[in-house]
Amino acid sequence: MATISPHLRNFKEPTKDQLTHLFFALPTAVSPPDANGNGANGEKIANPPEAELEKMEINAVLSLGVQGEEDSYAGKLYLLPPYLAFVSLDRKSVRFTIPLCTIRRVERLNARAGIYALSLSLWHGMKIVVQLTSLRPTADLFCSLLRDALKVELQKGHMKAVKGFVKTCYSELLVANTTAPENGDEKAGEASKTDDTTGDSMYLGGLGLKFKFPGDAKKLREASKTKLWTNYLRTHGRNLTLLRYPQCTRLIQVGLPNRLRGEMWETLSGSLYLRFENPGYYERLLAEHQGRINTSTEEIEKDLHRSLPEYSAYQSEEGISALRRVLQAYSFKNPETGYCQAMNILAAAILIYMSEEQAFWLLEVICDRLLPGYYSPSMHGTLLDQRVFESLVHRCLPIIYDHCQEVDVQLSVASLPWFLSLFINSMPMVFAFRIMDCFFCMGPRVLFQVGAAILKINGEKLLKIQDDGQFIHLMREYFASLGDSAHPHSSDPRARAITRFQELLLVSFREFAVITDDTIFSERRKYRSEIVHSIESFSKRSAIRNLRTLERFTKEQAGLIYDALFKAICIEPPPAVSLPPASLLTTRDQAEERPETRIGLKTFRIFLSEICTWARTEKIVTNGFQQRVDREVAEHELIDRLFFFWDTSYRGALSFQDIVSGLDGVMFNDLMENIEWFFNLHDKNKDGYLTKDDVLTLSESLLFIFRHEVGDAYLGAVSRFMSNAFEYGDTLLPRPEGANPDSEPPQIESNQPYINLATFRMVVLADEILESFFETDFSATFRLEPVPLQDMPNSNSGFLGGIWQNIATDDNRKILHKFTDEIGRAVGKHQVFTRPAIGKYTTLEEPKARESILTPTMRRSTSKTSLTSPSETSAPTSDSSSTLSGSASTSTLTVDPVTPSPSMPSASADYSPMPSMFQAAASAAAMMERTPFAIDDAKDDEDDEDEESDVEDDGVLDEVDAFLEAHDSGLTDAERELAQDLINAEPVK
Amino acid sequence: MADAASGSTERSVQVKLVLLGEAAVGKSSIVLRFVSNEFQPNKEPTIGAAFLTQKCRLEDRVLRYEIWDTAGQERFHSLAPMYYRNAQAAVVVYDVTKASSLEKAKTWVKELQRQANPNIVIALAGNKIDLVTPSASPSVPESEDEADDATATPGETGTSGEPESLRQVPRDEAGLLFFETSAKTGEGVVEIFTEIAKKIPIDQILASTRGGQRPGAASGRTAQEGGVNLEENNAKGKDACNC
Repeated sequence: MATISPHLRNFKEPTKDQLTHLFFALPTAVSPPDANGNGANGEKIANPPEAELEKMEINAVLSLGVQGEEDSYAGKLYLLPPYLAFVSLDRKSVRFTIPLCTIRRVERLNARAGIYALSLSLWHGMKIVVQLTSLRPTADLFCSLLRDALKVELQKGHMKAVKGFVKTCYSELLVANTTAPENGDEKAGEASKTDDTTGDSMYLGGLGLKFKFPGDAKKLREASKTKLWTNYLRTHGRNLTLLRYPQCTRLIQVGLPNRLRGEMWETLSGSLYLRFENPGYYERLLAEHQGRINTSTEEIEKDLHRSLPEYSAYQSEEGISALRRVLQAYSFKNPETGYCQAMNILAAAILIYMSEEQAFWLLEVICDRLLPGYYSPSMHGTLLDQRVFESLVHRCLPIIYDHCQEVDVQLSVASLPWFLSLFINSMPMVFAFRIMDCFFCMGPRVLFQVGAAILKINGEKLLKIQDDGQFIHLMREYFASLGDSAHPHSSDPRARAITRFQELLLVSFREFAVITDDTIFSERRKYRSEIVHSIESFSKRSAIRNLRTLERFTKEQAGLIYDALFKAICIEPPPAVSLPPASLLTTRDQAEERPETRIGLKTFRIFLSEICTWARTEKIVTNGFQQRVDREVAEHELIDRLFFFWDTSYRGALSFQDIVSGLDGVMFNDLMENIEWFFNLHDKNKDGYLTKDDVLTLSESLLFIFRHEVGDAYLGAVSRFMSNAFEYGDTLLPRPEGANPDSEPPQIESNQPYINLATFRMVVLADEILESFFETDFSATFRLEPVPLQDMPNSNSGFLGGIWQNIATDDNRKILHKFTDEIGRAVGKHQVFTRPAIGKYTTLEEPKARESILTPTMRRSTSKTSLTSPSETSAPTSDSSSTLSGSASTSTLTVDPVTPSPSMPSASADYSPMPSMFQAAASAAAMMERTPFAIDDAKDDEDDEDEESDVEDDGVLDEVDAFLEAHDSGLTDAERELAQDLINAEPVK
Repeated sequence: MADAASGSTERSVQVKLVLLGEAAVGKSSIVLRFVSNEFQPNKEPTIGAAFLTQKCRLEDRVLRYEIWDTAGQERFHSLAPMYYRNAQAAVVVYDVTKASSLEKAKTWVKELQRQANPNIVIALAGNKIDLVTPSASPSVPESEDEADDATATPGETGTSGEPESLRQVPRDEAGLLFFETSAKTGEGVVEIFTEIAKKIPIDQILASTRGGQRPGAASGRTAQEGGVNLEENNAKGKDACNC
């Protein structure tokens, strides 16, 4: 019942390029819809591939075409196709982000020698002059790149789109109406807020146009603000072409006029560019997903009527359905995030000022860029920023911080909703909207500044609080009084006129100017891992707590399983959430089920390789410098079979619970249970019988498990198993009435029921190796405790020890491995062994095949299988590169309880063709009288097997050859050749 | 006794109480019913947690409940510890018409027992019993799957959705209070808070607010009694409900 997400782990700090994009609020990084594998609407907003257009930045001085209007500002000009952006040197005074398609003319100005200046004419006639202050060739290059980029825009026809688009912007109307700027409420009723943009004055607006804007227009001095803005917009561009000079910021700080607010939010946040680049996307998205019901839509439904319910629009169906559509559209576009409470409040708030489509894109920008991770399922962004806020308070307001610590009050109980709902939920809306004005203009740091200012202003009272309750009360009272005078007893009427809200903004931006974007960035970086860790351990704990049943595992063991699962998910994330989200798999009709992470086969293989010795191939590499274990994830039909075996609900994916229950079914088994389990695993149609095919598959499975075992005891065991299985199977097949029991068994198709559990059990128990395998060894191949992968420090030299610590990344490590391998090979010290999955019979005596428990008829044939014994137990390689000296291996191989030894070449070679050969061999064996195996019953060699390993041992190989040849009657020549090659092949390194 | 202890007779005892449970089981409604005795779509959307207070008179003492009404959405789960730490009482709410919400409630109880203040008084409240008609008449109101999970319908996935296990919860977990409530009709709501009040070791809280650490002593006995009482009180409610 949990979602397990590696996203936090995989977080990467943004690159410099990305930061630039972020700074200029460019949409490219935002809208690739396929980024999260969202196939449903992926194709729809296709950003034209910008890759081929070069980016460039250049030093420049910006001045306005109109003399005396503004000072010139030195800064940097960025060509970021399809945008042109500028920022002054101080990174805050002046900036702009202009789509190239709004540029109609670029002229090189005839100026004094040595000055390289461009005049850019925008579509509405405004001129910007940029003087490129770099060296001439650089400036030339910039110009040519600019020209190319402009050409592309022209070809794409974006230039034409501009005029239609700007009609949706209120600012155009403002500027066009040079006559009296209208008062806030006059046109409220008549102004159209419809989405169609045919008429010239069809600008987009929010619910406020119809349902009135919150606050008193007179008190807010709407008229004079509108006038100031009209002037500013006329001279400094607007919407797509807005230039942000210091005056712009000042005007924003005194509050945007209601009608312009929505558009300015769009422009300042950059969501305008998204809307511009993706016309019609919102409607299409909604149309495509119409009628869809999922967890998100249900959660949205619950909250619709409690989103700013005091605002009249949200007491009407019109407002509610607009809110519903915007939230749903967001959840359709971002299934990973879906819907999070608090988004309803944001959406409700911005819908007062903007149309649905505008609100949709703004919500996108807020959730994705401005408040990253705030609303994600783990809410890591929220938690992180709360931590950052705490740390900033600690730094800026140490006395308050200390007091809170002392009385054990967590700042977050109050500050969390501030951040999560941009103060809308905490203070009167009119004030919250003004904070939002600043927030969209100056970015997330505003929240921290205002938050700190609130605490500072209330500092004295804060020092008296004793618990959370008092803290909340204090904050509530304060927010309720924001409209009051800050200095009610002052003799100066102008001081009296200052409201507490004005005081708050003043304190925020004056006294907490130290809190900059950089501060936030670096603080976030500082605390990210701490937060990620706590979230991960929290979700681990709750995942374990939420298991329906722990089965027979302890909590700690479940924790280990979780760890392995989590690791696997980090390496191979489960299939991306699409619509319907894979992690929200519901049982068709009822969408009640809670999100749950389920892993696919690929992830499962990795998971299994973590906890199961035969599901991985471990090569112990020694090269004289270091010794390490290279681990590879094995792939085999058996693993896939296990996956589907555990997938009891047939979803093609496993949950944590499925895995725990599945492991429970195998890890606590005794001999009989294990045999039964293995039988069931291979009983494809669950009819209680294995077919001949099943028997062969089962043998292949066994061979797979034994593939790295030293010696051929297991090989022999499997051979015996097969021959016995077919023999007993044939013998026990029902005969026609009265037929001679010794007569030929009836022919049976390979997919017919063949042997049942009892027979299977008998066959297994007939062999001591298999018996002990099923009794203990098999369960023991599952080991929950993580095995230290490598990093065994070189015992005899500290040469690499120091370097080792510094090699952090996997990539580096790989390079080092490769490097040391090369050297090792050069000096002849490079050795590779494959660690066996069971590792039992390396030095042990191989047990004899058991006396048959069968009837004499059967015994006749069984006896043939008793093995002749050759002299060797272990099968050291003769021709491989591993010329192991016994001392080396004993001194350094300390990871495995059993000393690993070189494996058979055939085992360490690619093994996959083997089963098929075996199958052929086995079917051959099944069909005819058995010929004796040439496989050896292991003699008890007292010798240290490390000593043995030096001995050339072609004998065993010959035996294998003989065995294979004797049985490969079913093989084609080509296959036989391949088999030959494989036998003689060197082990893979 | 409060008078003797602190001197200021009027001083009420503060009790921090937290409400937990799946989304839309009616946490906020229960609080609203308790605090202002009304039922309505709540005005304040719960972001993180809503904070309310209400006094509750118990014999000669006055308890001042500081109620943290947490957001129920799954993803807010990780924020919950912030609210339930130091809480003296918790009300875990589930929806009697939704088996999954009981499942969730159980995990909350487990989590509280493990992570919260060890002396925390936990009450489990099955809300929305008004939706389950007491007579179990064939005309079952809107929610289709409630009344019948006792009888047959194996369609309901959670095994624990059955009334047996629902009963078991209070028995299994010593000291867990159990109520069935309807925020809509008001049934059982005040009882939650009065029973909790009885069970809260008030003296300890008084002692601790006066500076001493709470000694963590015999709260179990009173608790037991409260539990017994409750069983009796609720006998009718149980019948009314799904079984």
